[in-house]
Amino acid sequence: MNKGAAYLLAILVVVFAVFGSGFATTANILNIGVQSSVLLLLALPMTLVIMTEGLDLSMGAVLSLSGVVMATMLMNEHRLPVAVGAAVGVGLAFGLANGLLVVALGLPPFVATLGTLGIAQGLALLVSGGQSVVGIGDALPALYGREPLDVPFAIWVAVAAFVILRLALSKTRLGPYVSAIGGNREALVLAGVRANVYHVGVYVLAGAMAGFAALLLTGRMSAGHPTAAIGMEFDAVAAVIVGGTTFERGKGSLWGTLVGVLTIGVLKNGLNVLEVSSSLQVASIGVLVIVALAIDSMLQALKQRRHTPARAA
Amino acid sequence: MRGISKSFPGVRALDGVSLSVDAGEVHFLLGQNGAGKSTLIRILYGAHHPDAGEILLNGEKVRLASPADARALGIAVIFQEFSLVPYLDLAQNIFLGREPRGLLPGTIDHRKMHAEARRLLGSLGMDLDTHALAHELGVAQQQVVEIAKALSQNARILVMDEPTAALSDHEIDRLFTQIQALKASGVAVIYISHRLQEIAAIGDRITVLRDGRKVTTMAAADAKPADLVHLMIGRQVDTTYRHQFCDQPGAVVLDVQKLEAANGISGATLSIRAGEVVGLAGLVGAGRSELARAIFGADRVTGGTVRLNGRALDAGPVRAVRSGAALVPENRQTEGLALMRSVQDNVLVAGMRKWFPSGWYCARAAATIASDVVARLSIATPSVARVTRFLSGGNQQKVVIGKWLTAGSTFFVFDEPTRGIDVGAKAEIYGVINRLVADGAAVLMISSELPEVVAVCDRAYVMRDKRIVGELQRSELSEANILRLAMHHE
Repeated sequence: MNKGAAYLLAILVVVFAVFGSGFATTANILNIGVQSSVLLLLALPMTLVIMTEGLDLSMGAVLSLSGVVMATMLMNEHRLPVAVGAAVGVGLAFGLANGLLVVALGLPPFVATLGTLGIAQGLALLVSGGQSVVGIGDALPALYGREPLDVPFAIWVAVAAFVILRLALSKTRLGPYVSAIGGNREALVLAGVRANVYHVGVYVLAGAMAGFAALLLTGRMSAGHPTAAIGMEFDAVAAVIVGGTTFERGKGSLWGTLVGVLTIGVLKNGLNVLEVSSSLQVASIGVLVIVALAIDSMLQALKQRRHTPARAA
Repeated sequence: MRGISKSFPGVRALDGVSLSVDAGEVHFLLGQNGAGKSTLIRILYGAHHPDAGEILLNGEKVRLASPADARALGIAVIFQEFSLVPYLDLAQNIFLGREPRGLLPGTIDHRKMHAEARRLLGSLGMDLDTHALAHELGVAQQQVVEIAKALSQNARILVMDEPTAALSDHEIDRLFTQIQALKASGVAVIYISHRLQEIAAIGDRITVLRDGRKVTTMAAADAKPADLVHLMIGRQVDTTYRHQFCDQPGAVVLDVQKLEAANGISGATLSIRAGEVVGLAGLVGAGRSELARAIFGADRVTGGTVRLNGRALDAGPVRAVRSGAALVPENRQTEGLALMRSVQDNVLVAGMRKWFPSGWYCARAAATIASDVVARLSIATPSVARVTRFLSGGNQQKVVIGKWLTAGSTFFVFDEPTRGIDVGAKAEIYGVINRLVADGAAVLMISSELPEVVAVCDRAYVMRDKRIVGELQRSELSEANILRLAMHHE
């Protein structure tokens, strides 16, 4: 995990709590959680994809498409589980396509998922006719509005996703295999593991979770909007990078990604509280990525310097 | 293994090689670089498929279509290139693909895995934290983890490719104890090493390969190091590329004093005069390329001096190149050429500052300069606009040399200049080198092909373990003398 990001998050929280009135209230903190939940659902599987030295640029567009598909089905009075199933199915299909393009055809992940981004975005506009899909009935807003133990539904979903993925990575074969795909794929193949299956599987998971995230996005807006999640994949990549996962050698951490997502959430929320214009908020994420990595790289250099003389002696 | 043959485009790597290894035996496989040892091992591990011949295990013919097949039959290999995953811990690396199962399907029994890993590492005399990540370890420790990984597979046949290259004496002792234990339990060990004194310590039998053929198999007790070196060389020096030796070298061009570098080079002192071709010989991993990188300042220099034409090289590769140093790298396609660009672009890329000091590029002048280089080096290309990728290996190599000619370099490092080049083109490359030194350049030639060093170089330095261990004048320059210095025996 990127220690720089953890320090940065702590500093941001303190600064906003001191200077922003209304930042450090229970309501606002829960609000940050709700705002961060969709991003976390994208950033968690994005972490795995990046650990394999890959990238999934299509996640935002797939999320938009799944959202309008879900909303359209609800509008046509399908039951909620069916609509959610359809949204996840759309995500699965795109994830499978990404995985096959990257693993079977050997396309660079950037190119493959840039292509499916365009397709998913186009389909989202086609399905919705370019309009918001409203009139989705009561079932989803009712579910989304539930607050067990006074904690909003979206936070429960996000926490559950984190816990499940974190356990899968630490307790099952998935963890070492994902790291090995990025770190030394040859070693994994020589160990007799079907690396291709796991490699495709990571993209399928990313697609499916983007589809599932439509539940929270559509629930929050009580509508499906074809451009609701445009560019969200970049926030997800930013969160992953801020959290210390690199594009090289299979290094990655879900805890780091959680910190990255929260840092972005706190930053956006805090700047809102301080009434900073939204254009500057966009720029702030760029600054965040650079500052978080600069801090980490300086910490690494310090550590290195402390170790070098010992090795020379 | 019976009658194994394998050819790659342009090379016959193995020609009817047979090798039989008994249970409970340590069988040494000896040979120079390129004798066919690695190819034989890769076939045994299912990574290559033989063109002819068969493999029998316990008297039964087996087919090894993939590494997974080999593993299933109990064949394990410790490769020289490490197969560790950098961000997994030691236990995860040792048991990759064979993790002990936990209670639920797909889960891993971490406690058992770490206990087992600790036991394996302990038996090798290593007290390492099994939670440490592989990339945090030094080379020797990584080697031990690699050995533990192979041991954990309960292999019946264990292949070790230079397992001791990175180990200290203490660790080697531990490894040998472990190998003796494996022998006692009936494991067959195939052992590749350049350290001939290890034969006496653990060897039972020896097979010597040369140029893809088996020379002999003998009992270790009968083997003398001097005889083995002779068997590995065997042939007469190929006289097709006789070099016009330099009798009166000019002024000192390159002067290196006690060079120390972060990549492990220590205490390297050498000098090269104008008109000389000086060889840098040694076995793979002896540190030849590292020395070249240190001279160029491409790896951090921690001590000593490098002077080129009297000017200190202490500010990295840019300073080195501007002072007249040129590197013709071993991997010409990735490090020496822009493959998708034309001959003209490649030839001019290093000479831009010299020929176009104003910064304005003149296509017509560039074409003239490139045509001149093509003519001087007789590069076979239909035009200077030809994309470099479509040229033959020998002509690509000449384009790399042409690049430095254009830049006006006076000191050339050739790293394995004739690797992967056919015999005719080799002679032409040697011709180009001759012309370079005739024009007053100094050449440092790194080569693993001993006949080449003997035939082409005026003198040679021999390296071992990142140090220069000897210098051979032309009168002393022979394959046997080089091998004697390069290998680990007195």
